[in-house]
Amino acid sequence: MNLGDPPIYTIRLSGELEIGRKNEIREALQVSEDSGAVLLDLGEVTYADSIALTELLRFCVGAQRDGLPVALVIRTPQFARLVEYAGLASAFKIFNDRAAAVEYLAECLRR
Amino acid sequence: MVPRVHAPLIFTLVLLLLLIVSLVVGGRLLQTIVTTSFQNAEGIRGSRMLAAHVINEQLDEETGIRGYAAVHQAILLEPYYEGRSSFPSSVSRLRRALQERHQTQALLTLDDAVYVNRRWEEHVAAPSRSTKPGNSYLALHGKWLIDRFRIDMVRIDTLLAQEEARGDARAEAAILWIGIFAAAAVVIVVLATVLFSIQQYSLGLRLEGERVAREAEKRIADTLQEAFLQRVFPTLAAVSFSATYLPATEEAKVGGDWYDALQLSANRVLLAIGDVTGHGIEAAIAMNRARQLLIGSALLDPDPRRMLERVNRQLVQEDGTLITAIAGVIDTSTYEFAYATAGHPPPVLYEPDGRARLLEVGGMPLGLAAGTVYRTQRLQTVAGAMIVLYTDGLIEHSRDIAAGEAELLAAVDAVATQPQADAAAAIRDRIFGSREIADDVAILTIRFADARSGGARAGPVDDSTFTVGIEAGKLSAPGPSAFWRIA
Repeated sequence: MNLGDPPIYTIRLSGELEIGRKNEIREALQVSEDSGAVLLDLGEVTYADSIALTELLRFCVGAQRDGLPVALVIRTPQFARLVEYAGLASAFKIFNDRAAAVEYLAECLRR
Repeated sequence: MVPRVHAPLIFTLVLLLLLIVSLVVGGRLLQTIVTTSFQNAEGIRGSRMLAAHVINEQLDEETGIRGYAAVHQAILLEPYYEGRSSFPSSVSRLRRALQERHQTQALLTLDDAVYVNRRWEEHVAAPSRSTKPGNSYLALHGKWLIDRFRIDMVRIDTLLAQEEARGDARAEAAILWIGIFAAAAVVIVVLATVLFSIQQYSLGLRLEGERVAREAEKRIADTLQEAFLQRVFPTLAAVSFSATYLPATEEAKVGGDWYDALQLSANRVLLAIGDVTGHGIEAAIAMNRARQLLIGSALLDPDPRRMLERVNRQLVQEDGTLITAIAGVIDTSTYEFAYATAGHPPPVLYEPDGRARLLEVGGMPLGLAAGTVYRTQRLQTVAGAMIVLYTDGLIEHSRDIAAGEAELLAAVDAVATQPQADAAAAIRDRIFGSREIADDVAILTIRFADARSGGARAGPVDDSTFTVGIEAGKLSAPGPSAFWRIA
């Protein structure tokens, strides 16, 4: 889903992310070529195993390497804790509010 | 695995079920055919019997009339009257029987026979009873009518006989088909059984092969893991170590967890714990590589942040296996604990005057991105403090991380206040009393000796003689024998 111009590409995942959903997660974690920024909406994710976390980390790092600003929306405390362990906050902007994330990305695109 | 075991079984069961149903239906069909054929034959035999009655009655009539015509004795007419009285009822019984069997041709023929009989009655029998004997016209006319009547009745009998033969042929054909069907069913059952046996046999071979391969991999991975896990820790008066490793219950999940406690200098000890994403031999090999890199890096420069950064750069260059780890250094003379984390769950610190708490975490896993920055956290702890490093299996046994953390902190609180020699095992037992271990778990505890226990603190050793590092391309340490304090 693309919002705005240049577009913010939004990826939304929810529930428990685990090895059984690896293919689904991989398919979801694709960015269209015209995207200007990536919003990874994980607001409804409650758990992720190490395989799923690895996929998320690789995706975020890859997007950043491609020069795309990345923002994550994380709301559930359990998942926030896992993301904290994974060190995502040290490299990516994390919001608990989608609107704030969109605003941040829009600001990145204006710059 | 499960569908492969069940598919041939289900196939065979369905086939057998179909065969049983077919045999039951076939049996019923055979029964019906035999019964119908028997009833048909009985019915035809009955009809032929009725036709014979009609002929007999006509014969009685004729006999009576012939006798009377010859000698004009009234008594000789008795057979005629008997035949005459029962003829209509016999005819109507035969007609009903033919109607039931749908013998249209035979019915038409019977109509003709009755018509002929009536004509014989009118033109031969009635005049014969009133005229003198020897009327040749009547005799001739009578013979002609009777011949026609008999031809009719023979035709009816022939038609019935043909019908009986046809019924028998139908029954024979049906029985033949049922025989073929039953033979085919037996052949199919035999084929299905053979096929099933072959499938089961080959499946058994394949499963056995897979099991042997799995066991071999597990054995190799177990051996590697066993070889890598440190059993002997630095012997220091000021600090004691304990560790435990629990392999996952599941065969396939031999993992890449490791820990190290290695003396770097008189007062400094390197602490490391890590977890390679994935399982099996590859994970064990990646684990060994990461461990070597980390130790090598610690020997170069024992700053946790720089240790991780060097290992990370190397791993990213190599193959990009993701590894979570904590690198830490304790100073046994100052109780300082410096550490950096890479995607790993937080260390637990217990201090005698408070409760166990989770320390801060930082950077992303090793092997992910070359430029990842890590941060060294420095903590001043106290005598009697305990640090617990562990891998995620210890707190992620349920999916509620907060509950897992709370349980771990409670276990550390309970264990740290007891003077157990093997604190790691005690923590493990508190958390995994009766639980299945889904993922590998490694636990490393570091306990600073209590200040009250005499001589606990390391003496004032000149630490510089043990410093390991490279300065201007030269090793500053006095000699290799001083690097290692592994008993």
